[in-house]
Amino acid sequence: MTSSVEAGVVGARRVRARGEALLDPGSGEWSRAQEVAIPLVPTPLDRQPSAYVQVAWADRPRGDIREVGVAALVNAGTLAVRLAWSAARPNRFISDVNVHPDACAVLFPANGSGFEYDSMGSPSRPVNGWHWRAGTEEPFAITATGIGTVARATEHDVKAAARWSDGVWQVVLARALAAEGVPLSHDMTVPVAFAIWSGAAGERAGLKSYSPRPHELRID
Amino acid sequence: MASTQSPQHQFAMVFDLNKCLGCQTCTVACKTQWTRGTGMEAMWWNIVNTMPGRGTPRDAFELGGGYRDGEPVPGRLPGRADWGEAWDFDYDEAFSPSSESSYLRPREHDGSAPRWGPNWDEDVGGGTYPNSYFFYLPLLCMNCTKPACLEACPRDSIYRREEDGIILVDEERCHGYRFCLEACPYKRIYFNEQRAIAQKCISCYPRLEAGVAPACVRQCPGRVRHVGHLDDPDSHIHKLVKKWKVALPLRPDFEVEPNVFYIPPTMPTAFDENGEFDEEASRIPLKDLRKWFGPGVDHALATIEAEREKVAGGGQSELMDLLISRNWQELLGPYTEDPGELPTPRRQ
Ligand code: SF4
Repeated sequence: MTSSVEAGVVGARRVRARGEALLDPGSGEWSRAQEVAIPLVPTPLDRQPSAYVQVAWADRPRGDIREVGVAALVNAGTLAVRLAWSAARPNRFISDVNVHPDACAVLFPANGSGFEYDSMGSPSRPVNGWHWRAGTEEPFAITATGIGTVARATEHDVKAAARWSDGVWQVVLARALAAEGVPLSHDMTVPVAFAIWSGAAGERAGLKSYSPRPHELRID
Repeated sequence: MASTQSPQHQFAMVFDLNKCLGCQTCTVACKTQWTRGTGMEAMWWNIVNTMPGRGTPRDAFELGGGYRDGEPVPGRLPGRADWGEAWDFDYDEAFSPSSESSYLRPREHDGSAPRWGPNWDEDVGGGTYPNSYFFYLPLLCMNCTKPACLEACPRDSIYRREEDGIILVDEERCHGYRFCLEACPYKRIYFNEQRAIAQKCISCYPRLEAGVAPACVRQCPGRVRHVGHLDDPDSHIHKLVKKWKVALPLRPDFEVEPNVFYIPPTMPTAFDENGEFDEEASRIPLKDLRKWFGPGVDHALATIEAEREKVAGGGQSELMDLLISRNWQELLGPYTEDPGELPTPRRQ
């Protein structure tokens, strides 16, 4: 446990654990991390890029998940971020035409600073993220330059592991510090934002809960 | 999200409901050509439903989508139970029967007997004897001029081709969110659960580009299907839709301006309560016909009736000649190339 935590700052504590242990959400290593509760809000409806979505969701509750617990660990070469949230009725995969999977994402400014998290980046300030979708083995490494522009990298080094038990999802997203994407290294702080999609609530695309302000991720 | 500009031409179809046999040759032609890949087992990009019926998927036209007074109408996503699964069949039992009552039983993935599927209510129909009625309604992507699917997609994964107005899903862009399926009032978009992408009729555009008519059109033994460009005044399409005004959009109240048009069903004469012909009555309630084909249906049916009479009396009728299409190639518009004469494309 870290001794002091500033509100909303996620510390990635340095550990000697092997990469596989970091990737295991249930591994004992995670008891060494300080989980920070990050409040989430629904994404604004007027920013949804289609009239259909705006009308169809005008009277529907959005942003089902209002808090995500975030913890982080780093070893010699890999950063792992663990997201945990309550999901009483998990959608573990696309089990039907009308079933949407639970999902989560961690978002960074692609260049490490100048974070336009609210608009999913802009052409001059792209964002880079790690996106896990329940039932999909590989997570997606994404970049975006605005709402509706998310593009998935065909090759990337982001890994994910997830488990659901007792009504809680725990998802670890990890990437080698030196790999493609947002620049990451020891002894640095990078802005970060979080999003959760509740499949049971029909959330997908821009319909989600997100952290309405950027947070800091301090990597030891 | 995206706006749609007017294409150079508008690809369109006219289906003559008075000739459709309900044989599903079109459906199978499409299946064989396009939907044999991963996750496409239960897809029928073209389907022929029996009307009045609940449709494919179940209650297709009651699930929302399209527009009302220009505003999008929220839609509901049908589930697998509404679409029907790709059934398995107990071939072993059928070929080596254990009892005289054995037959080729369809089974769902969990072994249960199917409870719904494409054109499930085929033999129901409507009306009461002796004024019973039914007709077949072929359905596929309508390549709408106001495509609700395209507007609904937050990722611009659906586009309207500039050359012919055909609506296509970019499978590379699609992230499987399914707003398009909610927004399509005809529910003619399928969701590939395994690939997590939307897929639908592509109007056989690779065939069109080689001058070959769509598979469903070329294979139709009923000569039901006319194809061509709506904006070509010499085309069957233009003549039937614009000149004779006998080919009508389906459910124009959905406000999506479809580019598939239907010759509405004329019916055998109705009987009155004494068992006599009632020339005034319609077997299909007129209010239903107007709901399905819009206010133009009265004029269309009257025109067809009058032109039929003319021919029956020994006269000539351009409209009847168009509908009969004695030379079947006339149905194909500009797409008359014989696929058998073309080099076989390499499989990807
Ligand atoms: S192939 Fe032609 S006649 Fe047969 S169901 Fe299709 S449209 Fe009707």
